[in-house]
Amino acid sequence: MPASEDVREPAIRLSGVSKSYSGHVAVQDLSLSVPRGGAFGLLGPNGAGKTTTLRMIMNVLAPDTGTIEILGRPASQPGRDRIGYMPEERGLYPRMVVEEQLLFFAELKGVPRKEAARRLPPWLERLGLDAWRHRRLNELSKGMQQKAQFIATVLHDPDVLILDEPLSGLDPIGVNVMRDVFVDLRRRGKTVVLSSHQMETVERLCDSIALIHRGRKVLEGAVSEIRSRHGKNTIVLSYEGDGAFLSGLPGVQKVSDFGRYVEIRMTDGADPQSILREAAARIRVTRFEVVEPSLHDIFVEQVTAAGEAAA
Amino acid sequence: MSRMLTVMRREYLERVRSRAFLVSTILGPVLVIGLSIGPTLLMARQRGKPLRVSIVDVSGTLSAPVERALAGGRVADARRFLVVPVGAADPEAAKRVARADVVDGRLDGFLYLGADALSTLQVEYYGKNVSNMMDIRMLEKAVDDALLERRLSQEGLEGSRAQRLMRKLDLRPIRLTATGEREDRGASFLLALLLLTLLYSTVLLWGAAIMNGVIEEKANRVVEVIVSSMPTSSLFAGKLVGVGAAGLTQFLVWSLTMAGFGLYGAAAARSGGVPLPELSPLLLVSFVVYFLLGYFLYGALYAAVGSAVNTQQEAQSLAFPVMMPLVVGFVFFPAVLSSPDSPLAVVLSLIPFFTPMLMFLRITALTPPAWQIALSLVLTLGAVVLVTWAASRVYRVGILMYGKRPTFPEIVRWARMS
Repeated sequence: MPASEDVREPAIRLSGVSKSYSGHVAVQDLSLSVPRGGAFGLLGPNGAGKTTTLRMIMNVLAPDTGTIEILGRPASQPGRDRIGYMPEERGLYPRMVVEEQLLFFAELKGVPRKEAARRLPPWLERLGLDAWRHRRLNELSKGMQQKAQFIATVLHDPDVLILDEPLSGLDPIGVNVMRDVFVDLRRRGKTVVLSSHQMETVERLCDSIALIHRGRKVLEGAVSEIRSRHGKNTIVLSYEGDGAFLSGLPGVQKVSDFGRYVEIRMTDGADPQSILREAAARIRVTRFEVVEPSLHDIFVEQVTAAGEAAA
Repeated sequence: MSRMLTVMRREYLERVRSRAFLVSTILGPVLVIGLSIGPTLLMARQRGKPLRVSIVDVSGTLSAPVERALAGGRVADARRFLVVPVGAADPEAAKRVARADVVDGRLDGFLYLGADALSTLQVEYYGKNVSNMMDIRMLEKAVDDALLERRLSQEGLEGSRAQRLMRKLDLRPIRLTATGEREDRGASFLLALLLLTLLYSTVLLWGAAIMNGVIEEKANRVVEVIVSSMPTSSLFAGKLVGVGAAGLTQFLVWSLTMAGFGLYGAAAARSGGVPLPELSPLLLVSFVVYFLLGYFLYGALYAAVGSAVNTQQEAQSLAFPVMMPLVVGFVFFPAVLSSPDSPLAVVLSLIPFFTPMLMFLRITALTPPAWQIALSLVLTLGAVVLVTWAASRVYRVGILMYGKRPTFPEIVRWARMS
């Protein structure tokens, strides 16, 4: 599959897109290419320009400069039934009955009412909303509302899904359900674009990512490729005893303490074995593993670097 | 087009299914019918409980004719007054006793006829309740009759002759229309006022309803999802028409109920029953038509206001200039009603923002010439087209605009933006 994707043109392409609101630059000269099929994560800290980017892709906002194409057509052209969009904040009518409103949104996307009514029950069941279908939306918990909103986004079976922070507000079980749904959508060749600032989740869910910071792209590519590009320069270490000396060892650039374990970032060309020897001599090591850096680390590193460059 | 229908359908069903819609739709006819026949019913209810009245007569000659006249005061074929003798001969003592009786509730009131009542025509009535105008009027008439009879007899006219000469005029106002005539003692006025108030408040209510709907969609970001599926102009049109259809449903229910009531009223008038105000087909049709025109004119503006703001609080100050013409139109109602064909009334009723109120009012009072009605329809329709067009442009920009509430000049600029 991935091989054939490369031949086809990307699902979404942004070229040189900028957008500013009354003097404040939200997105600056952003170029992106979202491959067809699979999940794409748009990452960045709060205020990085993720939501603005997604709104421009959805033609809710018009870019000041640059062009946006979805499935080969300009974003400003109608005929967008193959796209599903879930905004960050609710996006549903609070006082409307769940079932009614899901049918309404499917109809707005060109699905005949009867057909939508036929498709709805499996989704309700899958996301555990079956018992709530005749309730008003504002009687549901936040996580439940989010699931309803997700159904509104997928009921017309779009080829491309644009989801703004789809996982915030979900409990772990909800996240798992969503992950299964994503896997299923990917298997069916759909493209899922999601924005998030939760690196770990994105790392598990997405095939490729783009990292933006202050409206600019910092990093883009397949997750596996990005991680290997940054090399196996990280040690995960669990131990008993006082590890305060670790940060002073030669070859250690930075130590992040996660409580149960620490992540040690090595300087370029450092030898993990010598670090292991030093550690074993002074504390009781229970786990030692050389790994690729997590997206979280890369993210922090890139954002810090970008921040310094800007300053 | 099919998406516009989807939006319309949702708007219509959501409105019509609401409890507020049900209540107001039922309440409308209840109000109209209640206020039309209520006073008659109230009058009938007073039967069987006559007022206990005493007469304190200083002159000593007037109490007998006044008592006779009071006996003639009747409501719904029952005597209205029961004359209670005062147990004291001396007038000043009698007054004291009567006063105490009224305060203690043994008496409803007493008439005090001074020594020179016949010449000064000054008579006092003391009572616990002196605000029942019908009773006071009846008392006044009875005493007036008695004093007049007395004065005539002093001039040499006796008993039955005097009474024959004193017979009073009964002026029956009869409303003449192309379809016939009907006795009308103020019910038409009441009806005009009532229908106008109904028209005024429903245009305001439906306008506010569409405004709040727009604000809600904007606040919940629903509009982002919808706008990514269809053109804003279709969304705007769908909302306006959908909510309008709900309003129309309400008005059709009202009109049909009133038509039924009107038929009953006509039958009652023929059989000599209680005279009810006439509800002509022209009146009922124009009630619906001018509601629709008013709704589209003001509803479009309200939708534009809703799109420009973020919360209902912010909407208040912007909505005020929108409802201003509606209020002004309502304020002109007495002037127009008192002379419906005056130049002022004609001109005002042809200004589109006043037409829904004032042309309708003129139709209830005195059917205006057909050309004026036609002209008012054409002018208002033109205004509706212009206003909806401008409003939809403001809406298109406004619904995706967050942050600071725009100023009025900024909103005007949105309408001009291509």
